[in-house]
Amino acid sequence: MARKTHDVLSVDWVRLELLRTAYSTRGGLFSRMDPRMVLAWYLVMAIAPWFTHSTGVLLVLFVLGVASVVLARVGPLVLGLFLIGLLGNVVGLFAASFLFGGDLGTLVALGELNLKLGAVSMASMAAFVSLDPEKLSDALLWFRAPELLAFGVSYGYRMLPILVDEYVTVFEGQRLRHAPVEKPGFLGLRVVWQWCVLAVTAFYPIMLNTAKNVRTTVEALETRGFTYGAKNEAGRTLRLAYLRVTPLDVTVVAVTGLLVVAAFVVGPGIPIIG
Amino acid sequence: MPTVPPTTHPTAQQKAARQQAAPQDSAPEHAASQDSAPLDPAPQEAAVQDTPAAQAAAPVIRVKDLSFRYPGTDRDTLRNVDLTIERGDFVAVVGGNGSAKTTLCKTFNGLVPHYWSGDFAGSVHVGGIDTWESSVAELSARVGYVYQDFQNQLVRPTVRDEVAFGPLNFGHADYRERTDEALAQLGIEHLRDQFVWQLSGGQAHLVALAAVLALRPEVIVVDEPVAELDPARAGEIYRRLRDLNEREGLTVITIEHHADFIAQFAKSVVLMADGAPVWHLPIQEAMDRHADLSSHGVPAPDAVALTAAVGAPHVALDVDSAVRILRPALREQQVPGPDPATPASGAGDDGQVPRAGSVTTVVGTDLDGQVPGPDLATPASGAVDTGPEAGETAADTAPPAVVASLRGVHHGYRTVAGGLSTVLDGLDLDLRAGEKVALVGTNGAGKTTLMKLLTGLIVPRAGTVTVDGIDTRSRSAARLADHVSYIYQHPQQMFLKDSVREDIALFPRGRRVEDAEAIVDRVVAEAGLSAPAERDGRSLSGGQQRRATLGIGLAMRPRLLLLDEPTSSLDIRSRDDVTAMLESLSGTVQCAVVATHDMELVATWATRVLVLDRGRVLADVTPQELFSRPELTTQTRLVPPQAARIGLELGLDPLPLTAEDLRARLRTIDGTVESARADHLSRTDRLGATGFDTTGTGER
Repeated sequence: MARKTHDVLSVDWVRLELLRTAYSTRGGLFSRMDPRMVLAWYLVMAIAPWFTHSTGVLLVLFVLGVASVVLARVGPLVLGLFLIGLLGNVVGLFAASFLFGGDLGTLVALGELNLKLGAVSMASMAAFVSLDPEKLSDALLWFRAPELLAFGVSYGYRMLPILVDEYVTVFEGQRLRHAPVEKPGFLGLRVVWQWCVLAVTAFYPIMLNTAKNVRTTVEALETRGFTYGAKNEAGRTLRLAYLRVTPLDVTVVAVTGLLVVAAFVVGPGIPIIG
Repeated sequence: MPTVPPTTHPTAQQKAARQQAAPQDSAPEHAASQDSAPLDPAPQEAAVQDTPAAQAAAPVIRVKDLSFRYPGTDRDTLRNVDLTIERGDFVAVVGGNGSAKTTLCKTFNGLVPHYWSGDFAGSVHVGGIDTWESSVAELSARVGYVYQDFQNQLVRPTVRDEVAFGPLNFGHADYRERTDEALAQLGIEHLRDQFVWQLSGGQAHLVALAAVLALRPEVIVVDEPVAELDPARAGEIYRRLRDLNEREGLTVITIEHHADFIAQFAKSVVLMADGAPVWHLPIQEAMDRHADLSSHGVPAPDAVALTAAVGAPHVALDVDSAVRILRPALREQQVPGPDPATPASGAGDDGQVPRAGSVTTVVGTDLDGQVPGPDLATPASGAVDTGPEAGETAADTAPPAVVASLRGVHHGYRTVAGGLSTVLDGLDLDLRAGEKVALVGTNGAGKTTLMKLLTGLIVPRAGTVTVDGIDTRSRSAARLADHVSYIYQHPQQMFLKDSVREDIALFPRGRRVEDAEAIVDRVVAEAGLSAPAERDGRSLSGGQQRRATLGIGLAMRPRLLLLDEPTSSLDIRSRDDVTAMLESLSGTVQCAVVATHDMELVATWATRVLVLDRGRVLADVTPQELFSRPELTTQTRLVPPQAARIGLELGLDPLPLTAEDLRARLRTIDGTVESARADHLSRTDRLGATGFDTTGTGER
């Protein structure tokens, strides 16, 4: 069994995908928009599905979700996790209901819930993949979210790559220093078990190191006027002065609104099996 | 921004200028504690009037009778500090661990006493403002602070946002201009749109500095820039600081252990001991008192020590003046022609044969200076490539056994944008038993990748890596760990258990090594960690942490030991401890590879130096050869030890690598030699004694 370098489905790939997603490096339609309008768009797309039980309407909204995922250029990792979650849900519930005497009709009934969840999830992916940390934090600030939340969001993003790197380093150290499992066991379960244990215990040093490091961060925040700024409006006004709603923003939100309305009008007429 | 020319320090007039009528401080008499040396190097201008010019001439920081005690401690951290810092000065604050350098500097921006509240007595005035009545926010606009662990100081995702963060918080409408100005002052406009996590260490430090400059402070405090940066980059930071000081009249205060930077850049030196300044002197006088410095844990740089050894009335502060002073003191047979450049240019030509007689064990090296040819293969390599257990195969012929080899190795990483960036490009290399290899080169030259390939954590995209006769593709990294161990740059990433002893025992116990407990006991003792063995590694001092990680590596009993920057972010004393411990490795380990920027370590420890540049081996040389080729060190941004630079300028052959070597070629005054040598011995021999620093992390 010769080892080789994998470009996808490796730890490094997961790391890169996380970065691409968090910092919206792939571009896409929504990343060119004003962050407040992206959040407004998101609210429309995320709330609308909850106002209907019509499978036809949900189907249209689901298609809208698919379109926005394509427009937002959502990466394979997030998309893959979404598909695994959605399909797993459908298959799992169907299997369970089948055991208790359900039939294909159950699948249709499940369809409604899953279309709803799917539409909302895809809108979330499209919106948050398109917002880089600065924009998201500024939009939250504009909506009068607490200063600490807005800061926390951007700080979280800044720390993410560093924590991921550190985690990978510590996990590699774990692998090198713990003895490998002697017998893999049934289906390699022992190996899997050891990986799980090491993956969880790798958090121990990370948490301690981070706790030590943030002492400087908190002190530095003080010297850079963070608490001063939180009490004074001037900084907030200046920070948000750059936000501009452009024709693109208006068009996208208006078209989305129209399409959602259209979905509610046309949807009930769509013939659904069962 | 005030543009005051830097103050010079004619100390002769010091006494005359004490009568000053500053509004708040009417009694500027300063009791010199512990030493008769004056505390204020610069004369205070007579009679301050109410003109801006006169205000600019007033001291920017004035500390009077300051004592401070952290809550929950039973002794004062700062004790009766009296100190005046003139506007436009470039001050180095030096002193041993625990001498309260950092605490002192945190009184300047009000962190003490407003953030760290405690018992505060006396007064600190910054630009005329009493810090006790001010706030951290107000003072931060006057005093910028760059932390030792500056990475943790960066809080925003992009560089532009990071630099604008302070001005925005304070509601400065011109925050854009301030941001651009700060970036321009440091010449890092091109980093504007980078993400903070993409920056190299040196760039991150400059960004932290720019973020502080954007508030247009009068004073900048920089806490140990050398700690987290390699010397070349730290030198760059210092040059930028000097520019700011000279062009903008900014007062710069640095906390520093490394006396060579102090001698080169500072204008005055504050020596701290036990919570109070011992003296505050202009740089030349401070360096003339190098014995004081050295007794407080700041060993003199080679230029100072050597010129003092030949009895110069004033020691040299940099290489050039040291060369001038030392040239007449050279012993006869060593004096070459007057042109100092001759040996360098001779050795610099491609394909020169290395000087014979050096201590290297290198066989089959490539001295071409460019690309290693594909014919590096040695007689033993065929056997090693195929033999399954090739540890002893090459024993009968002359060259020592190959411990690890790389053949045609290519490797690269995917980038965020999706492309493939090549890190190693066609590498052929043999590492042999008995070698002490230093891997040097700029950041991104491929050092860490090469180490990871040797551990088997990654496998090359093309070519083969063989360690101890095993192709790394055929074994998991966990199994290869029986043959090779890897010690990370950041010790805290290696502390997986809750005590140092457990961490050292993790490997031998897990692999059910016979007499594992005996090995652990021996390693703990060898590393001088008997006292703190039951503590969490994170709570130890920097030097202890390093020794603990070395212990972890030794307990794995590898054939090949890999170390990533084992001496970075250590003060000079701990660094000597670690170097001495590396020296004693040869008993346990067959071959050790150290990736490092520390040229002192290369000079004293290595027998073979691999210079990596853009994924290729640029040179495979001895330390002596490396330091005698300035074009090589310049290209790869390496700063040879001062002694070697002086030796090169003097045209000495063979090139001395340490101050000791060079001193032997000089006509010295005996007394000085003896005391300096005794000092050196006390530094390097302390590993034998168990007097390791067990005080924990020392500073707050």
